[in-house]
Amino acid sequence: MFKHFQKGNAIKSLIFFALIFYFGKVFDPYNQGQLSVVLIYFIGILSITLLTGLSGQISLGQGALMAVGGYTCALVVLNLGLSYWQSIIISAVVSLIAGWLLGITAARLSGPYLAGTTLVIALAIPSLATRFESVFGGDVGLSVDFGNPPEWLSGAIGEIGYEQWQLFAILPFATIALFLALNIFKSRTGRSWRAVRDHEIAASLTGINVQRVKIFTFVVASGFAGLAGAMYGLRGIVGPSVYPVSLSLALLTGAILGGLRSIAGAFFGAALVVFLPDLIDKITGGWELAPQVGDYLPAMVSGILLILTVVLNPAGIAGALHHHKPRHK
Amino acid sequence: MEQFLSAVFAGTASGSIYALVALGLVLVWRGAGVINFAQMGQAMFSTYVASTMIINGYSYWIAFFVALAVGTALGTAVDLLVMRPLSGKRSSAMLASPAMRGTVPVIASLGILGILQAAAGMIWAAEERGFPAPVNTLGLTIGGTVMPFTAFDLFVIGIVLVTLIITTIFFQKTGMGLAMRASALNPEVARLSGIRTSSVRTLSWAISGAASSLAGLLVTPNTNLSPNTLDLILIIGFTATVIGGLDSLPGGVLGGFILGLVISFVNVYSSPSDIFLAILALLLIVLLVRPQGILGSKEARRV
Repeated sequence: MFKHFQKGNAIKSLIFFALIFYFGKVFDPYNQGQLSVVLIYFIGILSITLLTGLSGQISLGQGALMAVGGYTCALVVLNLGLSYWQSIIISAVVSLIAGWLLGITAARLSGPYLAGTTLVIALAIPSLATRFESVFGGDVGLSVDFGNPPEWLSGAIGEIGYEQWQLFAILPFATIALFLALNIFKSRTGRSWRAVRDHEIAASLTGINVQRVKIFTFVVASGFAGLAGAMYGLRGIVGPSVYPVSLSLALLTGAILGGLRSIAGAFFGAALVVFLPDLIDKITGGWELAPQVGDYLPAMVSGILLILTVVLNPAGIAGALHHHKPRHK
Repeated sequence: MEQFLSAVFAGTASGSIYALVALGLVLVWRGAGVINFAQMGQAMFSTYVASTMIINGYSYWIAFFVALAVGTALGTAVDLLVMRPLSGKRSSAMLASPAMRGTVPVIASLGILGILQAAAGMIWAAEERGFPAPVNTLGLTIGGTVMPFTAFDLFVIGIVLVTLIITTIFFQKTGMGLAMRASALNPEVARLSGIRTSSVRTLSWAISGAASSLAGLLVTPNTNLSPNTLDLILIIGFTATVIGGLDSLPGGVLGGFILGLVISFVNVYSSPSDIFLAILALLLIVLLVRPQGILGSKEARRV
């Protein structure tokens, strides 16, 4: 992954960092919070982009791996008293191990088998929290946060609000995730994943160990998901209700809508999933809809968008934008 | 002993419902190569229709058959509106590889599930409501002693058995059933011998829709009805099909009964919160020990 360090990827990641930092300065607190969620979803969706888009394995359970990251982070913060960023790194590492265990099983499965199994995992993992209530805090969960902004930062850029500090704490990790994903996409590793996706037998004939690649993909993707999950929990609470099955499905929806095979698409998808309810609210604000219609409108719209994308425009937003350019397939 | 017996009966009754769900899943898998994650969404929708009719004074049985018709119509609509256009896109870059051909319809079915749940939420305000059973759901009393099963349990088991017998006769004795088996076995050869495979596909979606809406009608008296209540039933049904073998109808039915008993015993002897873990453990054991399922054939695991 790192052998093929490319200057272009570093520059892209830095531009990303600067842009989000700028938006973090100009947005109001509510949208700063929303932007934090976009970054977290972005990392979560990247795990699907790598897993499904690049290597062709579906997972409906990335939310469960986010839960692994979140609970690890909370337990480390509460029991070992480490700082938030140390805990985030530990959570990502623990998720890598969880992904390895999952990958050993998952590498034997494909298509609908994999989809169903990961879905069952997404349901079962949160119920562990109520099963072992004394450790995981049951239905209520464990409460954690990012703490206060360090003084050198507020000294450098002035007063930092609560939501703003969350955003600025998440941003470096999102940038690193972006940088790693960009490198994987263009590296030999990424090409071998694509080969496995497109034709397993042909891939194995070129000397690729298909099983090992599949497991490795799961490991890497779980690292991303765990990273996202740790920060998702650090926004306040780590509990079963924070990582429901619908979280896994929201991530998948974002991945498809944005473009399953594109890193930019992962960001578009994250932004779309997070801001869609606000957008619909703004559009329908004057229409006096019955409350239950308004409540379910975002779910309805994203369901319709999902089907339209799959049937009419499988490459998603990113694919539609790049239609005229030759693409990496 | 009494606890044991009541677990067995409750497990058999719910197992027969899971068998129906599994039947619907296997039908579509064999007929169209898709695992339909929207299946219980369709069932939820048709059960809401039945519930609304009953609230408005129609009899249970009229509502019952209307719900089956709605389920059939939904199954047909899913195939005609989404799955058929999707399978026409086989040459597109996204669907070019076998791995993605298995994956993309799953995603489409999740979209359909989302739409159905949102629609039900909008129309029926998403409040949880009960759904009536046609017979008593309290313990049956024979000669003064309370039996470990209810009249409704017997009703469920009976109606599911009848359905299974009809399905078996349909597949073994009728020309249409033969055409469906042929298309599932080898679509190319079936087409060459004059079977309209696309109509056969739609038919399997329709029958699956009817079977799952029947499952919805039978399970909701015990679970209540809300846009999301049947999600769990789908998960259980899916696990049942994997345990029994995705391409085997008897396997799916067998898996349904196994799962019904396992869940019932977990419920009685442990706690309901362990159900998911039990399902996951069962699923993983089967996938690791016998990935094609108990009655599934080896090549059915399309790689």
